[in-house]
Amino acid sequence: MDLGKKANQFRSELIKFKTSTGSGHLASSLSIVDVLISIYLDSSTYFDHKKDVLVFGKAHGGPALYPILAELGYFKAEELDRYCLPGGILRMHPDRSIPGCTYVGGSLGNGIGFAAGLAWAERAKQTIVILGDAELYEGSVWESLMFIAHWKLNNLLIIVDRNGLGILGPTEELLRLEPLSQKFESFGFDVLELNGHDFRELREAMTEPPKNPTVIIAKTVKAKGVDFMENRAEYHTIIPRETSVIASMLEGLK
Amino acid sequence: MTAPRDIFIGKLFELAKKDSSIIFISVDLGAPSLDKWRDELPDQFIAAGISEQNAINVAAGLAASGKKPYVYMMASWAARCFEQIRYSCAMGGNPITILGNGVALGYAPAGPAHEPTEDLAYMRAIEGMEIHSPSSAQLTLDLAIETVKNPKLRYVRLERSVDSTLEVFTTSDNDYFKNGMHVNGLYPGNTGAKKIAVFSSGYLLHRAGKVCEIIANKTKFEVTLIDFWRIKPIDLVALKENVKNCDFLISIEEQALIGGFSGAILESLSDLKINKGLIRFGLNSAFIFENGTRDQLLDANGLNVEEIASKCINQIMNN
Repeated sequence: MDLGKKANQFRSELIKFKTSTGSGHLASSLSIVDVLISIYLDSSTYFDHKKDVLVFGKAHGGPALYPILAELGYFKAEELDRYCLPGGILRMHPDRSIPGCTYVGGSLGNGIGFAAGLAWAERAKQTIVILGDAELYEGSVWESLMFIAHWKLNNLLIIVDRNGLGILGPTEELLRLEPLSQKFESFGFDVLELNGHDFRELREAMTEPPKNPTVIIAKTVKAKGVDFMENRAEYHTIIPRETSVIASMLEGLK
Repeated sequence: MTAPRDIFIGKLFELAKKDSSIIFISVDLGAPSLDKWRDELPDQFIAAGISEQNAINVAAGLAASGKKPYVYMMASWAARCFEQIRYSCAMGGNPITILGNGVALGYAPAGPAHEPTEDLAYMRAIEGMEIHSPSSAQLTLDLAIETVKNPKLRYVRLERSVDSTLEVFTTSDNDYFKNGMHVNGLYPGNTGAKKIAVFSSGYLLHRAGKVCEIIANKTKFEVTLIDFWRIKPIDLVALKENVKNCDFLISIEEQALIGGFSGAILESLSDLKINKGLIRFGLNSAFIFENGTRDQLLDANGLNVEEIASKCINQIMNN
């Protein structure tokens, strides 16, 4: 499978269904697309969507999962056209009512503790939790990190979507998160920092399940794939609606 | 005698020895009954540290994996993880049992931070949440068994001291467990006299019983004490049956008077279209900055037996 081609296809679908309603967080979804493709569609990574579980902490980026779940047959692709519309099953935040999704979505700082409970209960099952970097401000995340490291829950992989932005601006200007690697290491985690848009690096990091409690810091670009939105905090909730702009966004992916 | 929380945990321990899906999570809180559990069932015990938010989220994850998690914490701190209870458990559809230790003024004189006096109001608002305040050893045992047999999202309010259990549990109601309420005392009046129902729960049943006695003696009305050991949901059929012949209704609660116990009863009465009024007694303030034993604080803050009785008699006689 040409993962790069898939990434373009899914970004294009994301842009279409997000711009059709203007609902949600397009930029946060675009930053995590490649990580999700690597998890779900790269046959060389260990995650098996039929038995393993992915929990979305930063569920506002969760719609990035919808084109992938449609591709895997969890629901029909037509559902993407009814995103956030009456009668449709896909919402702004993925939740347990949507085929292929677990848990609920929308409240930050809680997915990691829920995932820890899953991992504690079923050590033979692999769990992955996706956290936003600005989600790390939630104190509950650090409660859960202590718990995961203490119980050596190496069947739970934590992936941080490090796009560097909160709603108000760059995390390092708003309220410093760095040195992030050292923080995780001091809590007892192995830390892998990689380019969250590089399928080779992602594959190398996820060929095998972790042997120790592990955090992947995936360095990403918020709104990846749409030039004028990339790395700009103001686009957290703004989604362009003009036909010509949407056309140029789609054209830019090619 | 044994404190209700140790009765509950003791029974749960017995059941956990035969059911490995029962997992006990302590938010760094102990109990005499817990020591044996930690020694004998270490694989079913999680020390979560003082981290209520993670403890509830982990419990939700355990429940999603088919476990039966019990999260044991000081009742006051259940407010700290309200979002996790609402979001990960209620919204997420993950049934856990929250064991709230030391409800209302149960930790006196620790001060208001340790004394949850609005927990009924905020817990009641969570969809699907059941709330229990078992008042006797028998009820506590029955409830422990029920939580294992039939897992739901529950908030079980447990008394931590031995003097808070009603020693004698009497009821003629065979459905008392299903109904969530039962007649705890009947104080007969003159033949044909008016009838009064007094509603209370948990530790305050001691006081409510004395209030009933005084009212019955002075007015010669017939007074019935009803123990709401389950505060949510309230069984409307049972409530209707219990108040149908009554002329006056009185509620006595160890809570601030907004949205709690009496609020729950008033909502139910309204749904039943029963408009007899409700004479309500609760704490003067949610936050009590005073020293004293629990009983002294109750006396000084709106729940003195003689004062309640005399206010009731005034209202009833002037009606």
